[in-house]
Amino acid sequence: MSEENWIEVGSTDSIEEEDLIRFDHQDKTFCVYRLADGFYATDGICTHEAVHLEDGLVMDDEIECPMHQGIFNIKSGEALSPPACEDLKTYPVKVDNDKIFIKID
Amino acid sequence: MKNNIIILGGGQAGIYAAREIRKNDSESNIKILGEENLLPYERPPLSKDFLLDKKNEEDLYFHSSHVLKNENIDFENISINKVDFENKKLVAKNDNVYSYDILLISTGSENKKLSLDNNLNNDIYYLRNLEEAKIIKEIVANKNKNKITIIGGGFIGLEIASSLSQLQKKVTVIEIGNQLMGRIIPKQIADLVQNTHIEQGNEIILNKQIDKITKKNGIYEILLNDNSLIETDFVIAGIGSNPSVKLFENTNLKLDNGIVTNQFCETSIKDVYAAGDVSNFYHPLYERYMRLESYQHAQNHGICAGKNIAGVKTEYTSIPWMWSDQFNLNLQLTGICDDYDEIIERGNEINNGVIYFFLKDKIIRGACGLGIAGKIGRDIRITSKLTEKNTIVDKQILSDQNQKLNKLIQK
Ligand SMILES: Cc1cc2nc3c(=O)[nH]c(=O)nc-3n(C[C@H](O)[C@H](O)[C@H](O)COP(=O)(O)OP(=O)(O)OC[C@H]3O[C@@H](n4cnc5c(N)ncnc54)[C@H](O)[C@@H]3O)c2cc1C
Ligand code: FES
Repeated sequence: MSEENWIEVGSTDSIEEEDLIRFDHQDKTFCVYRLADGFYATDGICTHEAVHLEDGLVMDDEIECPMHQGIFNIKSGEALSPPACEDLKTYPVKVDNDKIFIKID
Repeated sequence: MKNNIIILGGGQAGIYAAREIRKNDSESNIKILGEENLLPYERPPLSKDFLLDKKNEEDLYFHSSHVLKNENIDFENISINKVDFENKKLVAKNDNVYSYDILLISTGSENKKLSLDNNLNNDIYYLRNLEEAKIIKEIVANKNKNKITIIGGGFIGLEIASSLSQLQKKVTVIEIGNQLMGRIIPKQIADLVQNTHIEQGNEIILNKQIDKITKKNGIYEILLNDNSLIETDFVIAGIGSNPSVKLFENTNLKLDNGIVTNQFCETSIKDVYAAGDVSNFYHPLYERYMRLESYQHAQNHGICAGKNIAGVKTEYTSIPWMWSDQFNLNLQLTGICDDYDEIIERGNEINNGVIYFFLKDKIIRGACGLGIAGKIGRDIRITSKLTEKNTIVDKQILSDQNQKLNKLIQK
């Protein structure tokens, strides 16, 4: 695992619990979440239509798309409710010295 | 107990009910009878991404035939034209007879048709199903069909207007009322939507009725009640819909703006259930009957009917929610917006989104929002939750876009 692929997102206190922030890197958009048991990351755009999930609602371990209420599991990326049917890509996250990093392949 | 369960109508409510029955009952026979020769599919893209060629037919199906086979759900393409509730039988056009122990009616709704006093009725196009969407798509692909008139400024008419405008067509929308999308949408939001259509080149005509349509050399002339004349190459009408209940009109089934059902999706006849667009159901939270035509409702109501049919007694308490996408705008409606004593506005310009909350006795009953893409989605979703829980809310937070609504949800 090469170290370069870990990208710094920001400090841990930049995300409230049960919430998310959008993180843009190069030409890609990600969502980074703070859940009760830690931090998680997924693609930032819904798999149904090109809509930013940053405006969606985080509930328990799920992110609900703000456009048509498609629902994804944040930890696995699984599409749980239509009209979303394609899974969301997830990314590894680590916390080091109160800073959040995500591993982009 | 092993039952013969028949689902009449192979749309969204029907398929969700079928799968939910199977989840709870591995024994019974489940058969969906559908008059469209297609597995159940999503209708929302028909007026939007399907016309725009961003989605094709394969993208619309809820499930593949493989899923139905795996779950032992039978789908038969047949149109039923007689129902004998007393003997629990359905009769098809080809005289096939289907017997049931339990029946779910999910026949959806059908478009209201214009009635013209000349022989032009077949020249007016409507959009409800995939076949009609394909025909419209094919016609507008013809470069000579450039000027298109849409009669009716409701959701479906405006969505078609938005799609055809994006296909570089010259679109005119004629609406009989004094605002778009009926009175259920706050006028301010209807006006914002109207402005976007106009900015994008569509012509919107309000407060006008059609006196006459004539055809000359393949071109239609639409005469309005103020004597103005619109020339057009193609006419589409979206003037509302009725529940598909003709089949039941001379039976004992209780009808009133659709099939009357209680909170358990039960109709007035034992062992007969109804769900989706066709049902006028009792909502225990609002303590009244309502009929909805929305994606989320067809899904959730179908699931609820499925549970009850399988013997898992379940009340339907889902908060109504629907959306409409036009150009880059996303409109959402939750709860009910016609029974309130106070309106609170959140935001006033389209970029950050605008929401109107409808309150009664300090409790939010419903909300209507408009924003770019899904900008208002989270707040609308939170509103549904607050409505569901009858939460008394801090109005100052509701009206202040700088304060997150998440705070209002009680954990
Ligand atoms: C063009 C369009 C765009 C839409 N866009 C949106 C949107 O953006 N957002 C939203 O929330 N909702 C939208 N909707 C509404 C949503 O799609 C419907 O509310 C939903 O499909 C209703 O599901 P249903 O199962 O009740 O009925 P349907 O999906 O209509 O299914 C009913 C089925 O029953 C069949 N049937 C009827 N009679 C018989 C018979 N006698 N024998 C056999 N079969 C029969 C019909 O052919 C049909 O296939 C849209 C609808 C349309 C038409
Ligand atoms: S864009 Fe996310 S559910 Fe449709």
